[in-house]
Amino acid sequence: MNRLILKYSYPVTAVILLVFAWVVNRRLAGGVAAIIPLAVAATFVWVFGSLVFIYYWPWITVGGFKRAILKRGFGGGPIPVNTLYAVLDRPSQSASTSSVMGTGADDLLYIGGWLDVNAGPRALHVPEMDGRYYSVQLTDPISGANFAYVGKRTTGNAAGDFLLCGPDWKGVLPTGMTRIDVPHRSALLIGRVFAADEGDRLAAYELAKQIQLAPLNNRA
Amino acid sequence: MSGSFASVASSGVVQGVIIGATLAFLTTILILDAVAKSETRTVNGWSSIQKAGQPGNGLLVRAALQKALPVVNVFEEAAYWTASVDGAGKRFSGEHVYRLHFLPGQLPPNDAFWSLTATDTVGYMVSNPIGRSSVDDHSGLVTNADGSVDILLQPQEPSGPAQNWLPIPTGRFKLMLRAYLPGVPIVDGSYEVPPVVQVS
Repeated sequence: MNRLILKYSYPVTAVILLVFAWVVNRRLAGGVAAIIPLAVAATFVWVFGSLVFIYYWPWITVGGFKRAILKRGFGGGPIPVNTLYAVLDRPSQSASTSSVMGTGADDLLYIGGWLDVNAGPRALHVPEMDGRYYSVQLTDPISGANFAYVGKRTTGNAAGDFLLCGPDWKGVLPTGMTRIDVPHRSALLIGRVFAADEGDRLAAYELAKQIQLAPLNNRA
Repeated sequence: MSGSFASVASSGVVQGVIIGATLAFLTTILILDAVAKSETRTVNGWSSIQKAGQPGNGLLVRAALQKALPVVNVFEEAAYWTASVDGAGKRFSGEHVYRLHFLPGQLPPNDAFWSLTATDTVGYMVSNPIGRSSVDDHSGLVTNADGSVDILLQPQEPSGPAQNWLPIPTGRFKLMLRAYLPGVPIVDGSYEVPPVVQVS
């Protein structure tokens, strides 16, 4: 559906504008005064609405990914909050069924999840990657900015444990863990693990499945 | 009560709200596209946006870049270039045959991998007979005698090496080049992706 709207955005827009022109024209038939309430309402909503859309655009975009994760998932059914799901299929194979995944790179195995630390911090575990490229991107739901990364570039390729918590969390950081503040207490998590070819994909999948979130008290 | 509802409805306020909201949406699209364009650097037909996904962008820029490249990596993690025109500025069409010629040592420098994908104009991959939607640094590209590399962009199998063939969709299409963990020349802007050249 999205794909069709994107593909035919100009004709769709033209039809909508024509309908509006027809509505305005019908009103004008009742005299200029008959159009004033419509014009005032339209102008107010137009200006105010544009500001609201621009302010909330990143929230709307990231929210689309949140819904895709929590309501639909990536082939294995809905993905619960604070769960990471690794997608075995190449993005190109799922292009027709899952629009979110349809634009990915097929050299990567993707991991998706929605983080919410309102009920307490979560521990992110990453396994030893043995030189293989990987990253976990944490995207803020309000600004759409990637406020933190775990991965080869930022934290290295060794196994690691990271505590994802709200900025005001005052608990004691367990030894061996690195603290990452989550500014708005929720975030979109996108993981990427390199897979050279079809034969390498299963090996990458085994590693990707080990990138996991857990509540803090469930850890030894 | 129902009388006042009827008078509000017949006054045109409801229609005004609907029209205003739609115009607000269209205006937002136009503004964000214009802002994204001003943040886009285009060289040889390849466009990239360095600020995408970065913290610290203003309200307008963050919205515009989220529209142009939703939830993408920051540039230091992965550099993305898109092209929908060849080096001469002509829109890509699957009726033609194209070459992408990398001079020796001029493949995108990186610490992870690079890959080139052909998609439809919206950005979705299109299935093709050999099931290949990208060529990359690990797909065994054949190097020319002088060390340069040619990528063959065409719908039908080429006479040249099949490893270097990236099938393109019939009709209009888009190319996306990704370099994960891009090297310094990419991040500092000195690296330029060569133009796609129409051969026939």
